[in-house]
Amino acid sequence: MAESVVEKIKKESKGLRGTLKESLLDEHTGAIREPDQALIKFHGMYMQDDRDRREERAEKKLERAFSYMIRLRLPGGLLTAEQWLALHEVSEQYSSRVIKITTRQTIQLHGILKHHVKPTIKEFNTVKLDSIAACGDVNRNVVASAHPRFSPIHEEIFSYARTISKLLLPKTNAYYEIWLDKEKISPDVEKDELYQDRYFPRKFKIAIAIPPYNDVDVFTNDVGIIAIIENNQLVGFNVSAGGGLGMTHGNAATYPRLGSMLGFVSKDDLLNTVYAIATVQRDFGDRSDRKLARLKYTIDRMGIPGFKEEVEKRSGIKLRDEKKYELTIRHDEYGWHKNHEGLYYYTAFVEMGRVYDSDKVQFKKAFYEIAKSGKAQFRFTCNQNIIISDIKAQDKAEIENILQQYGVIHVTKTASPARRNAVACVALNTCPLALAEAQRYLPSLIDKIETILGKYNLNNEELSVRMTGCPNGCGRSVAAEIGFVGTAYGKYNLHIGADAIGRRLNKLYKENIEEPEILETLDVLLKDFSDNKKLNEPFGDYVMRKNLV
Amino acid sequence: MLTEQRLKSFKDFLQDSSRDEIIWMSGFLAGLSDRTSTGVTPPALGETKSATEKLTISVLYGTETGNSKKISSKLAAALKSKQHKVALTALDQYTPSNIQKEGIVFIVMSTQGDGEPPVAAKKFYDHLHTKGYNLKKLKYAVLALGDNSYPLFCKAGEDVDERLQSLGAKQILPLEKVDTDFYAPSEEWIKKVLINLPSVSKASSLASQAKQPSKHGKAFYNGKIKTHINLNDKGSAKETWHVEISSDEGIYYLPGDSLGIVPPNKDEDVNEIISLLSAYPNQTIKYKEETLTLFDLFKYKLNILHLPLRIVGKYGALIKNELPSVRLDLKNVLSLYPLPADTSLDNVIAILEPITPRLYSISSSPSAHGNNEVHITVSLNSFSVNDKTKYGFCSSHFAGLNEGDEVKFYIHPNDNFRLPSEEKDVIMIGPGTGIAPFRSFLFHRDNEGASGRNWLFFGEQHFATDFLYQSELLSLFDTGALTKLNTAFSRDQKEKLYVQHRMRQQSKELFEWLENGAHIYICGCKDPMSKDVEDTLIHIISKEANIDAAEAAVYLNRLDEEGRFAKDVY
Ligand code: SRM
Ligand SMILES: Cc1cc2nc3c(=O)[nH]c(=O)nc-3n(C[C@H](O)[C@H](O)[C@H](O)COP(=O)(O)OP(=O)(O)OC[C@H]3O[C@@H](n4cnc5c(N)ncnc54)[C@H](O)[C@@H]3O)c2cc1C
Ligand SMILES: Cc1cc2nc3c(=O)[nH]c(=O)nc-3n(C[C@H](O)[C@H](O)[C@H](O)COP(=O)(O)O)c2cc1C
Ligand code: SF4
Repeated sequence: MAESVVEKIKKESKGLRGTLKESLLDEHTGAIREPDQALIKFHGMYMQDDRDRREERAEKKLERAFSYMIRLRLPGGLLTAEQWLALHEVSEQYSSRVIKITTRQTIQLHGILKHHVKPTIKEFNTVKLDSIAACGDVNRNVVASAHPRFSPIHEEIFSYARTISKLLLPKTNAYYEIWLDKEKISPDVEKDELYQDRYFPRKFKIAIAIPPYNDVDVFTNDVGIIAIIENNQLVGFNVSAGGGLGMTHGNAATYPRLGSMLGFVSKDDLLNTVYAIATVQRDFGDRSDRKLARLKYTIDRMGIPGFKEEVEKRSGIKLRDEKKYELTIRHDEYGWHKNHEGLYYYTAFVEMGRVYDSDKVQFKKAFYEIAKSGKAQFRFTCNQNIIISDIKAQDKAEIENILQQYGVIHVTKTASPARRNAVACVALNTCPLALAEAQRYLPSLIDKIETILGKYNLNNEELSVRMTGCPNGCGRSVAAEIGFVGTAYGKYNLHIGADAIGRRLNKLYKENIEEPEILETLDVLLKDFSDNKKLNEPFGDYVMRKNLV
Repeated sequence: MLTEQRLKSFKDFLQDSSRDEIIWMSGFLAGLSDRTSTGVTPPALGETKSATEKLTISVLYGTETGNSKKISSKLAAALKSKQHKVALTALDQYTPSNIQKEGIVFIVMSTQGDGEPPVAAKKFYDHLHTKGYNLKKLKYAVLALGDNSYPLFCKAGEDVDERLQSLGAKQILPLEKVDTDFYAPSEEWIKKVLINLPSVSKASSLASQAKQPSKHGKAFYNGKIKTHINLNDKGSAKETWHVEISSDEGIYYLPGDSLGIVPPNKDEDVNEIISLLSAYPNQTIKYKEETLTLFDLFKYKLNILHLPLRIVGKYGALIKNELPSVRLDLKNVLSLYPLPADTSLDNVIAILEPITPRLYSISSSPSAHGNNEVHITVSLNSFSVNDKTKYGFCSSHFAGLNEGDEVKFYIHPNDNFRLPSEEKDVIMIGPGTGIAPFRSFLFHRDNEGASGRNWLFFGEQHFATDFLYQSELLSLFDTGALTKLNTAFSRDQKEKLYVQHRMRQQSKELFEWLENGAHIYICGCKDPMSKDVEDTLIHIISKEANIDAAEAAVYLNRLDEEGRFAKDVY
């Protein structure tokens, strides 16, 4: 079958350069040329337009309100105070101001105009931040468990996250030439062992979990790495492959899938194994149909044994039987924690990961002041929250004050478990693929769900509710106890029955329902649950026991 | 009276004639019908020169929109046909001091601005008024073009006529003032000139009495607002209205023409003034041989806003009171300095001036949008008077209109701002509302499938909110109708960026286009834009042709004479 257009664009891009420079110079439009729209993703950006303003702009004889979203490459999701300050400034100066913490432990800025893209990247560069390969058919931001309780291992894990990210970085200098005006070193395109001129057939994602935490939702990744800890020592990793949640309405060939366990490797063998998995996907992945190009489909075509064999052949490393481990918690543990070195950590609840100032809570002001004090660092979680971290005992009071003053502690303390665990993707108004609202809508839906929970005294249930504006699953809605998948404006498919720790996907329960029916349905389900649940039985497991799906 | 088929062909002929053509013809026919049935003009009394005598005659014109040029060319042709030696010169090409050497001069000039000479005639006008020439040898006549609806009707021509007399020159004909329907009266004037040509020996004494400007007035259309949109997006400092006006009767205009309207005053202002004058809205009154109510007079005819100092002065004199020389609205004048009971209302009306018409470049094309609608692009004019933001009279009137509202307007032709033949290239420089005529040009050329290339320079404050007609321009650009599109958004970066900077960046190619015979147009605000752009053109020409600035200026001047360089700036 013929290769997809994107394959052609990649091959002809001269190392992801394309005509991006020319596109930036087109004075008459805020858009960039079509092939460049595919290429700019590899540089960590997306061309978007404000979908709320399309009609009005058309009437005013103005083109769509094109702007750019930039996503930082942030392996392990850590920002220093200095970097936060820069991020804050950039967000105020060039973007729509909201700093969006993503479900992959990094941040996005939206609404950057074409002529502000270069200044934005230059600013980031001054504090050693970049967006290289944050998107595109490459290895994406490598995520790792954020929770700092097992700190000695954390340090080690973060270094793995960074090393893997580096190992799988494209070799082209295009980013520096196009965005930072660096001289072109050689006339011919850089050699790239891994990506060659084709890159991967599709995006490629890696997560590292540190049991008992699965905040990274490790099995939803192409490659899932689980740290194996024996008497407080990191001894190696269990490696899974073939996770991915994307599906397409009405395309039966597409489906969400959790990663399959390949086995255990020692610390030293991890990189080679990961690299081998990557090259197998590069060579065996489907390049004709992007909908079937993810590793999950490659594996299902090859069969797990066949795939594993190919990986071992290439790495020369045998994958041993998986080691025992236990994942017990996926959501974040809010509030203050202290690590073995006596450093303090505050995990704050940032609803939908949207860092901005409202009259209820002023996240930006709070984090800006903390950053100015230079007495803390910032870590992001895959649940779209933030951890104010590495605070010395003597500074704790000062930081706590700031958090208190701007309402951060209040919202974190008072939010119900259902609200705190909720995740929603960006969707409207910026996501071009959105079929329905998500992050702008879920909070108000939670209000109503809370009422139902209250009615059946389930207020303290650690329920996991997630919503995505389309079946791509950015908010990992199919891995939630209650998952909403947008089908059309105001309409959602209701999925239920997943566990709360990410080892079982949910199933479709009701199709295309609007809010009133959503609430009626949940009312029935939750009443029933509250009447018949076993002690400590999570909602998802109850659904399965009752064979509701 | 006409035979069947002559009548028919006459009707057919009228059928395909434009409204303006018909107006012209009516005047022309009126002129013909004055002649004796043989159609031959008999030698008028006063004609003193032998038919054989060859005279050296200079015909000078000062024009803004080409009318005066048209008429003076006709005059020159008529004189040539009588074997006279005739030099036809635009006043901006004429060396003022030469006037001292002239024997016979005919001057055709219009009035612009607030009673000022056209830019092209300014140099001559100023010289004449500052230098104490002795012009005893000179015989002359002035035809002054104007618009009766402006307060200072034909003022510039008037000034020139008076000045020439005071410098000793002899009138061949008294000053002739013509209104906007100048075709017939100017034909008449030309005839009179031919008749009254002086002999070198003795100048003509008897000349027919000055003819009052004909009062036909302009052809007004009654239109309805069809579309009314603010082209600027949320967050813009500007407000620019795209206004589509439809009319049941065909509207005849060409790309490059402007639309004129006389905006009505606000009811509340009118009522306030009438009560300050302790008069009654519906009492009738005579004004310019029209009888109408006092209300209508103040609403539709008289300017009551930002009165010129000359009127403030006159009012002071009227009420025998020293008024400070500041421009005030009539209502303020009347409340601060009430009209004494013994002074009649008529004295006040007598000193007031008509509402000045406002012009807007037409942004539609008859061929692309049809003859039943015109589009204009109106920028809300704002200014501050002691820290209070106020808005322009006419532009705020347009901004306030709604779809369905009625507007009375006329077409103000501009023969100095026309598209060249279809195969020629055009370069259009139109920042801000300067885009208006070029939208018309582009749609027109696209519709006619013109083969010439089109290059547009546009500028405004912000790309995201102020790119007037962006989506239309982009589709013209994508289909190739618009060959090149350069934009400058002044406030999207630290240092200001204007169209002239973009022109400099394109210096080489721009000059190539010019060398290739391209026509170049500037439209938009006079100050500082058009001046800066013109300086930039000179800079570009001198750089690319590597000649000095003076030579470059000559080059540009040549383009002007060849009709390849036109400005419509305000
Ligand atoms: C920001 C984020 C959601 C959020 O609210 O946090 C996000 C936002 C978008 N995702 Fe995603 N995805 C995000 C995590 C995910 C996840 C969850 C995860 O990785 O843990 C998934 C499901 C797991 C997976 O990859 O299967 C996910 C699966 C997709 C897909 C479906 C891929 C597939 O295999 O079918 C698309 C569409 C595509 O790639 O064609 C997509 C595409 C998009 C785009 C870029 C839409 C587009 O392609 O133009 C969205 C940008 C919206 C916007 O305006 O910001 N995003 N996306 C997450 C950013 C992660 C990061 O920092 O890198
Ligand atoms: C050939 C030609 C073409 C044109 N084309 C266009 C076009 O396409 N689009 C367009 O938008 N305009 C165009 N114009 C300009 C337009 O005709 C008007 O001049 C413009 O709209 C301003 O008129 P106004 O009645 O709104 O403002 P006005 O009320 O006439 O005020 C104009 C200025 O006078 C001063 N002023 C007025 N009242 C006061 C006061 N009370 N106190 C202090 N100062 C005061 C202010 O400086 C103000 O800015 C064109 C002009 C010409 C000659
Ligand atoms: C901006 C503007 C201002 C004008 N001001 C006056 C004026 O003050 N008095 C007047 O009699 N005519 C005025 N006119 C009308 C012109 O003199 C009239 O249109 C004339 O036909 C133009 O002739 P031209 O094409 O040779 O310049 C004005 C026209 C314009 C466009
Ligand atoms: S899930 Fe769909 S709607 Fe939501 S961000 Fe991803 S692509 Fe956009």
